[in-house]
Amino acid sequence: MNEVKNPVLQIDKLCVSYGKVEALSNASITVGEGQIVTVIGPNGAGKTTMLSAIMGVLGSAGRVSFDGTIEAVPEVERMVARGMNLVPEKRELFGEMSIEDNLELGAFQRYRMGHRDQARTMNEVFELFPRLKERRTQLAGTLSGGERQMLAVGRALMAKPRLLMLDEPSLGLAPLIVREIFRIVAELRRRGVSILLVEQNARAALQVADYAYVLETGQIAMQGPAHALADDPRVIEAYLGLGGKHQAMLST
Amino acid sequence: MEAIRIIMDEHQSLAAIIHAIRLMIREVGVGRLAPDFKLFKAMVHYLDAYPEKRHHPKEDQFLFGPLKARTTEGADALARLEAEHGLAEARIQALDAALQGYADGAPDGFEAFTDAFETYANFYRNHMLLEEREILPLLKRHFTADDWARADAGCQATPDPMSGTRTPDGDEDFRRLFSRLVAATPAPLGLGGGPYKDD
Repeated sequence: MNEVKNPVLQIDKLCVSYGKVEALSNASITVGEGQIVTVIGPNGAGKTTMLSAIMGVLGSAGRVSFDGTIEAVPEVERMVARGMNLVPEKRELFGEMSIEDNLELGAFQRYRMGHRDQARTMNEVFELFPRLKERRTQLAGTLSGGERQMLAVGRALMAKPRLLMLDEPSLGLAPLIVREIFRIVAELRRRGVSILLVEQNARAALQVADYAYVLETGQIAMQGPAHALADDPRVIEAYLGLGGKHQAMLST
Repeated sequence: MEAIRIIMDEHQSLAAIIHAIRLMIREVGVGRLAPDFKLFKAMVHYLDAYPEKRHHPKEDQFLFGPLKARTTEGADALARLEAEHGLAEARIQALDAALQGYADGAPDGFEAFTDAFETYANFYRNHMLLEEREILPLLKRHFTADDWARADAGCQATPDPMSGTRTPDGDEDFRRLFSRLVAATPAPLGLGGGPYKDD
């Protein structure tokens, strides 16, 4: 169990079904304040489904408690208003808009709630991602893959989230950029951002995370402090490059 | 075992730089990319300044040395690693000289740099594999709690590029250097903001 003093997110027995197929079964996870918690697992394990259900994009059964309040039925607009933010796998940027405009859109919810600090927040984002500042007037559609990922994270940060959820931030990126993205994820933790990180790149995720869950065929198969999981022979065999028989190993 | 996390983290940074250089060389070789000599030099400087001059001494002092004092297991591997660490200067000089020759327009300069880099990259692949597959498991088996406390403290005292290494005495900022390398490396390997510019 991830025992933390101040849980930002607690999900309990979360279930998601697509028709008769149960994609997520009784998944329970906790993210503590200022923690990086990672969910690793192979393609199709239910990782993105889990994030979508937590956000309220997908219907689910079970319990989601965010920042001390139980959400019987999570609704995406309410979750965003309460400070939950998801950086989706496909980045979902507005390609015909500039970097700056994409970032400003990230602050829209806060603006609507009366906050007028978006200029300062944008400077903080530019401090983290100097490359975005250099290209601030460029259209998002002209960005490289790494720049797009940085813009997607930057846009999420414009909302000053209580919980940042990252769906496969390393997907499709070269090792050099992956290193930079994970360095920035670590930097965000130092700044107090709580992070739920869903990743297939188990090595990078376990290096940076405090606590980890292994999701297999819709179920939490293992959990523990990230350094302990990184040292577990079953995880090493299945996810850290010494083999590919993850299902068999995890069932032992 | 924070020490192991830091060491493996640094291996990932080193592997990422080597991967980028290898693919840039390949692109230059087939004519799809013009060589950015300043970027190559900055990357070689990173390899020298961080892995060779900071990472290895940390391994020797806080991990491999104490392991040798605990057990004779892995003695051959440790001796090999120690010898390889001792050849750091010669290793980087060979790479540096080949790059300089290429930048100066030496005949066969590109081929010589490619060969020197491949030698360097192959060496590091084997070196890191030996450390991770043979020595790190031995550390986990033989280190006492006190050994780990000393290793963790030692490795944290000279932090890895992930957390930045700027110190009050003006030491080099490897976090910033790494970010600048990523920014200047051509996409999709990096962010595509080149050519690399000196500070």
